[in-house]
Amino acid sequence: MNLIARITILFVFVSLVVFLIGGVISFNVMMREVNFEQRRFLIERLDGLEKRLERRPVKDTASWTKLKIIRMPELMEDRTSFSDTVVMHNQLDRLEPHLRLDAVRTVDGVSYQISLYDIIIEPDDIRDGLVESLVTMYLILLGAVLIIGFMASYFILRPFNVTLDIIKNFSLTGSNQQVVFQKSNVIEFNRLNHFLEEMTNKVRSDYQSLKEFSENASHELQTPLAIVQSKLEVLMDGENLTEEQLEQISFVQSAIKRLSNLSNALALLTKIENREFENVSEVDLSGLLSKMLEEFKELIELKSIERDESITETAKIQADQVLIELMLTNLINNAIRHNWEGGKIKVDLNGSELTISNTGQELTIPGDQLFERFKKSNQSSHSMGLGLAIVKKICDYYDYEIGYEYKDDFHTIHIRF
Amino acid sequence: MKLLLVEDQEELASSIRNYFSKEGDVCEVADSFAKATEKLYAFSYDVLLLDLMLPDGDGLSLLRVIKENWTDMGVVIISAKNALNDKLKGLELGADDYLPKPFHLAELNARANAVYRRRKQDGKRTLSFNEIELNLDNHEVMVNDKSIELTRKEYELLHYFVVNQNRLLTKQAIAEHLWGDYMDTMDSFDFVYQHIKNLRKKIMEAGGKDYLKTVYGAGYKMKDE
Repeated sequence: MNLIARITILFVFVSLVVFLIGGVISFNVMMREVNFEQRRFLIERLDGLEKRLERRPVKDTASWTKLKIIRMPELMEDRTSFSDTVVMHNQLDRLEPHLRLDAVRTVDGVSYQISLYDIIIEPDDIRDGLVESLVTMYLILLGAVLIIGFMASYFILRPFNVTLDIIKNFSLTGSNQQVVFQKSNVIEFNRLNHFLEEMTNKVRSDYQSLKEFSENASHELQTPLAIVQSKLEVLMDGENLTEEQLEQISFVQSAIKRLSNLSNALALLTKIENREFENVSEVDLSGLLSKMLEEFKELIELKSIERDESITETAKIQADQVLIELMLTNLINNAIRHNWEGGKIKVDLNGSELTISNTGQELTIPGDQLFERFKKSNQSSHSMGLGLAIVKKICDYYDYEIGYEYKDDFHTIHIRF
Repeated sequence: MKLLLVEDQEELASSIRNYFSKEGDVCEVADSFAKATEKLYAFSYDVLLLDLMLPDGDGLSLLRVIKENWTDMGVVIISAKNALNDKLKGLELGADDYLPKPFHLAELNARANAVYRRRKQDGKRTLSFNEIELNLDNHEVMVNDKSIELTRKEYELLHYFVVNQNRLLTKQAIAEHLWGDYMDTMDSFDFVYQHIKNLRKKIMEAGGKDYLKTVYGAGYKMKDE
């Protein structure tokens, strides 16, 4: 629900409450005024009656419509009191509340008890009138609120929506030019835009330096490794080294290679995380997979692994070719590396689902940890434990579904593109 | 082969220079782009070994300048950046090869040689070691003028040995040369052994001598005793 809709609903609700309370208050105020007028009216009639009694005293009892005069046997003190009563209305033919005045007046030494009642406006007429006018006003208000809401979102909130669009399209790796927000004549929007402008620039420059740092860290590591590597080779080329010494140097060399690969893999993971692969094109998945398997053919044969593949010809996806190649390389490499001598590999690409299964030692870690960095089943193995983490990262990058299961001696990784 | 190495890491530069000097190649070193251009204007080189990260400029823009002025010189980039786009950009700008650091000196030597021979226009493009002769154009191998049948990997292996003759080639360097980074398991060493065994057999069957010597604990060496 957007901002304007929320505010409108809140406003409609609050105004409903206000109208209800206002209605009750109006009704009470009106009733008070009507009552007051009614009392005045009855008092005036009472005065009139007094004057009439002066001229023509009543002998015993006199009664007209809404009026009754009783002559009292003895002298009584004057008093006036109002009360509510219910009287049959002669036109409406139903009981209606009336205001009643009971008074005692002494005229020419004779006390009369006078009772008067009357009605000017019935309360339900007032109520009906009030309800009708309030409902009409409320409907007009609703209409006005909807129109204002519509105008607000399309005119007043326009700069805000433009800003939102700009933020939505903001990319860390995007063009280097600054993000420019529209000027608006609303102070708050300008403050927001100013803040966003500063923030996006800050984020970009921070990101840039972080990126440079992780890349540089990787490069800076490779240079000393290259020096060590070259010196070791010079050393090995010497004439008088024993077999054992040569073997020790070989171990150092392979450790250097691992360190270098590790640093490269970490730099790669950072790059994927930083979304630096945006060179999207149509990738012929079937063709690429066949090509990859061909490249690995020798390794598969050298390990006497039986290969079983079924690839449909038509699988195509939109992605960065480099990443997809990397993903397939890592998957196939993984299936070969963790396989038995003389094991099996099954590759199945069917439409948008890729399944790679291989025989191999059962995992010592839970299957769901397989895609985490540095998680490897055999801690002493020479693999880095980053291959599948990279695969997972690429799948996350493109929202591909990836899963692992171990069934019937086969490790199976399936990816749904 | 005359090489110019543009590399600001003194320790690495000296190792590379010594390696090539032992081969009988001339390898000169420049530690900055300014010195490199100075040398390029004064002398002529067959192959330039270029580090992309120099103190006085971005390697890729330097490469552009070099390719504009010295078109017939081969360029091998040696870079600490294993970034794919750098590699693509380098090759696009006219570099012949791209070798990420750290590398085996034997690998650098093989790459520089390949670039050098590919660019050499005159005469037959062959490499030979005593009675063994490799034709670089059609990958044909002759032993005592008799053609022998090698698989692609065996040819690559033999080529690697001939280019780096009299040098110790570690099993790791050979595995990386043949299979690149795919192969970093210990298994690969057995595969290297199998390939060498097959190659040795094929050469000896054609009447060649066994030049592939095993250096225990380290690797192999091609030499004539």
